[in-house]
Amino acid sequence: MEIGEIQSHKGVIGTMVVNAEGIPIRTTLDNSTTVQYAGLLHHLTMKAKSTVRDIDPQNDLTFLRIRSKKHEIMVAPDKEYLLIVIQNPCE
Amino acid sequence: MKGGAAACSRPLPRGLCGLGVPAVCQELFKGWGLIRKEDRHLSLLELTWAVAGAVILTKSCQTASIATANASAQGRSHVDAQVQTEAPVPVSVQPLSRYDVPRLAAFLRRVEAMVIRELNKNWQSHAFDGFEVNWTEQQQMVSCLYTLGYPPAQAQGLHVTGISWNSTGSVVACAYGRLDHGDWSTLKSFVCAWNLDRRGLSPRQPSAVVEVPSAVLCLAFHPTQPSHVAGGLYSGEVLVWDLSRPEDPLLWRTGLTDDTHTDPVSQVVWLPEPGHSHRFQVLSVATDGKVLLWRGVGAGQLRLTEGFALVMQQLPRSTKLKKHSRGETEVGATAVAFSSFDPRLFILGTEGGFPLKCSLAAGEAALTRMPSSVPLRAPAQFTFSPHGGPVYSVSCSPFHRNLFLSAGTDGHVHLYSMLQAPPLTSLQLSLKYLFAVRWSPVRPLVFAAASGEGDVLLFDLQKSSQKPTVLIKQTQDESPVYCLEFNSQQTQLLAAGDAQGTVKVWQLSTEFVEQGPREAEDLDRLAAEVAT
Repeated sequence: MEIGEIQSHKGVIGTMVVNAEGIPIRTTLDNSTTVQYAGLLHHLTMKAKSTVRDIDPQNDLTFLRIRSKKHEIMVAPDKEYLLIVIQNPCE
Repeated sequence: MKGGAAACSRPLPRGLCGLGVPAVCQELFKGWGLIRKEDRHLSLLELTWAVAGAVILTKSCQTASIATANASAQGRSHVDAQVQTEAPVPVSVQPLSRYDVPRLAAFLRRVEAMVIRELNKNWQSHAFDGFEVNWTEQQQMVSCLYTLGYPPAQAQGLHVTGISWNSTGSVVACAYGRLDHGDWSTLKSFVCAWNLDRRGLSPRQPSAVVEVPSAVLCLAFHPTQPSHVAGGLYSGEVLVWDLSRPEDPLLWRTGLTDDTHTDPVSQVVWLPEPGHSHRFQVLSVATDGKVLLWRGVGAGQLRLTEGFALVMQQLPRSTKLKKHSRGETEVGATAVAFSSFDPRLFILGTEGGFPLKCSLAAGEAALTRMPSSVPLRAPAQFTFSPHGGPVYSVSCSPFHRNLFLSAGTDGHVHLYSMLQAPPLTSLQLSLKYLFAVRWSPVRPLVFAAASGEGDVLLFDLQKSSQKPTVLIKQTQDESPVYCLEFNSQQTQLLAAGDAQGTVKVWQLSTEFVEQGPREAEDLDRLAAEVAT
């Protein structure tokens, strides 16, 4: 599965795939962390998507990046699934 | 079956044996004339029968006797047993049905290129170099928030010997006593508590005062009950008070029994009871070499549940120790710190200057003649390289399972890894004694030490590994600072008590409160510098 190729990329801490209801389907992290990330990021992605569409109904969300002190979370959204990748970029 | 030999009236001529029966009959008729007249009435059949009977050869056969043997077999006795598993924790990751796998694969193929492109860009990006966001107001300097003291205790010249924050982080309590030599066995002393969140806080008037008949040498608040505090006395007793009951605060006491320490109690610690995580026991260590575990029972009595004794001969010989004279077999314990990762592992600081790695689960009996209602065990598993003098304080890192600090009268702080006997680093922080050392609860690379020169030293291993980052002068006349504690709820507060009987609550600058970007990795790297 391509998830392995992403997981082995430089600095990637974890990768997971979440379905349209926010339930994780594939993950490389432990259960409790995965559930936490899946639930929270699913909500945030829906909010970001509605924000973009409210500003311009012809527009849509393609990618979401959250940069924090410790690492960067990247969300690739889709109609049915969400791909979440957590990377620790080289400082 | 035995075959019989047929009787024959006369022996057959030899030549007849090889011939077939017809030839025999021919010969018979030839020999008819030879038969006597009186025998001729015999029928031919009888004669042939007689002759044919003679062809029978005698053979016998017999099967071997059947070997029999007796053996008995019996089913083993069986016991009924039932096994039941607990209901499994529901799997939170949903297994994908076979139908969906191609759709998932198609989705991953769609996004894969974009995600990998972003990962690569991130790895090489310099866009965020040096970019920091400040969410809280920046505090640049360390400042003294409160200067607290209890005048009657200060008038008696008492020192602050122990300090503790309660579980909510709003109350700081201090114990008064004396740490220098002198006849203070009959000294009355106090335990005072100030509630810093209360409006109208008066620095000279504690919100709770408890009078204690003997000097209190150490103090520890209960981990969950905001008003319960345990203290160790000069007399060797351990007492637990409830500060919310001003008229009768004493909850439990050990009393002076055979089990009680025979020397002043150096430190008390609250531990969760095994199996009941909401009930707690008190662990006390003293210079008589005993480590005792107490539980409150019935009418205010602390009963001994487990005990350990340190005996010189039973210490693991991981490092060379000075040979002691025959008389001294007990090793006095002066400080204790429990590991945050393994609840039964603890580090003891000793009068001999060597920290000991110990375990509550140790089973070997201690070779001591001290009387005790509970069998005393030898807890030591590993001996570390000694300081140049007694160790007064130890502290286990809340971020790394193998690191701990120890400080002693030689003015040095040693950073040990539990994997090796010699320390990882040794820092000289003071020309006099060091009385306390504590890791910061929020920053993995920061610790604070209290010196005999009246200073509180803050060390940031990320900034400098040689000299302290901040030096706070607590006392003006260089009288020692005896104890300090970080506040784990309000992480910018640090309380320190000194020989003048004052408790100062310091507010730390923001750099000591917020974790840096790669601090946890730096700590791991530091811990990995274990000599091979």
